[in-house]
Amino acid sequence: MDYSMLLEPGILAQVLSQGLVRGSMYALMASGLSLIFGIMGVKNFAHGELFMLGTYVMFFALAVLGLPFPLGILLAAVVLFFVGMGIERTLIETLRKRAGRDWLLDAFVLTIGMMVVLQNLAQIVFGSDRRGVTGLIEGTFVSGSIVISYERIMIVCVAALVGVLLWAFLAFTNFGKAIRATSQDPDAAQTLGIDIARIYTLTFGIGAALAGLAGALLISIYPAYPTVGFQPVIKSIACVILGGLGYVPGAIVAALLLGVIEAYSVFFMASGWQNVLTAGLVVLILIFRPAGLFNSAKVERA
Amino acid sequence: MPLEVRNIVAGYTKEVPILRDVDLTAQDGLVTVILGPNGAGKSTLLKTIYGYIRPQEGEVRHDGTSLAGYKPKDMLREGIAYLIQGHSIFPRMTVSENLELGAWIMRDDRQRMAEAFEEVYERFPRLKEKRTEPAGVLSGGERRMLEIARLTMTRPKTLLLDEPSVGLMPRLVDSIYEEIEKLKAARYTILMVDQNVKKSIEIADYVYSLQLGQNAHEGEKHAFEQRLNEIVKEWI
Repeated sequence: MDYSMLLEPGILAQVLSQGLVRGSMYALMASGLSLIFGIMGVKNFAHGELFMLGTYVMFFALAVLGLPFPLGILLAAVVLFFVGMGIERTLIETLRKRAGRDWLLDAFVLTIGMMVVLQNLAQIVFGSDRRGVTGLIEGTFVSGSIVISYERIMIVCVAALVGVLLWAFLAFTNFGKAIRATSQDPDAAQTLGIDIARIYTLTFGIGAALAGLAGALLISIYPAYPTVGFQPVIKSIACVILGGLGYVPGAIVAALLLGVIEAYSVFFMASGWQNVLTAGLVVLILIFRPAGLFNSAKVERA
Repeated sequence: MPLEVRNIVAGYTKEVPILRDVDLTAQDGLVTVILGPNGAGKSTLLKTIYGYIRPQEGEVRHDGTSLAGYKPKDMLREGIAYLIQGHSIFPRMTVSENLELGAWIMRDDRQRMAEAFEEVYERFPRLKEKRTEPAGVLSGGERRMLEIARLTMTRPKTLLLDEPSVGLMPRLVDSIYEEIEKLKAARYTILMVDQNVKKSIEIADYVYSLQLGQNAHEGEKHAFEQRLNEIVKEWI
């Protein structure tokens, strides 16, 4: 292996952009997962299936309804927002009300069940064909030996924009503040008149919308098929652990890092190594920094 | 109209009620203190009043309205604020964000919100100084101050205080009681549980004692003070 290739700007840019595209997807997925975990304590193993639903909504928006790309993304986010809220209201809330203190373990099992049911429903309804859309945005950015497709640039920019919007929502809006308060002390939040059941529903909806948006945004790379969510959810769970459970900014940074590391490992080793690397990183983090890469006061939940 | 607790039976499970027929009244503008040994059901009573626990029997009325079926989130709108046991600030939010959340139920009323902030900063200049800092960096006394300030943002009528002085060093216990004294002077109706028996009786107008989830004694402060020794002996 000729490692001097690492220094060649063309290759560097190529691999880096690939890594950032992956990282953007992981970041969208992981921030939703981390938000749901941080606020509700629920580990949503069906998050990949929300991603999968996003890819189907996007496929139908583009191929059947003929909507333009940005509208398709918006539609996927909105549909998944309501799907997420529906799931929380009907399934998760019912469990929380009935099962008392041990409900989180029940919720964990519930999300695994949801994963199986949603995958099989998709299989029955849509079949196992891969439904993809390619060539959405043509053209490449060229500067010297650096060549990056506009599509990749767009994906990273949209993900960054969504990240900024999410941050602004949590930092500055009334509901964002209520969400943070609920995650820090739900009992105290209730005494102030905050309806925490509503906050949980809203949070799950936002997490689902982010997953749906990720699926829609990456439709040209991950076509719609029933088990498309498996890789993204495994990787984003890894990011949540690397970044510190429930700490959203940590999950985002970990996601971008992981994306870039994987892209380099694919390029310089065989592509099979990327999963080994991810799992290895998680093991190392769990041994040496169990609270995540960025632990500080934010260890409990952010 | 007062806060009335009528013949409450309540607990975490149906089979083992913690409160067994508790009856008390917190009169308007007065401080009512509930005493009792550990496990007498004092905190459970406050939680039941605030809707965390649904009573199996009996009723809570506030200002003439029955609170049956009310949830904790509804109580502040009914004019009842609750200082829960232990720390209840949001440590990773700023002091002013904490106060803002105290005014959550009037978040759309910018005028009232601004007035509440002005008033609270006048009362607690320390909090104004530290308004942009995360509440988690405040000292123990300042946290308690923030909790009390947050409690009164919406000018509720009735305050439930669960162990306001627990875990504080003696000097801070005095200052928290000074704050409660000020709340009393501002004519809040206060129903309080505190492990500091001497200080809480000093500030009280009327005292109840609970034992094993039932009413044991009650009386005006002075009558109670005289019998205090014998009552405390019963607890042991």
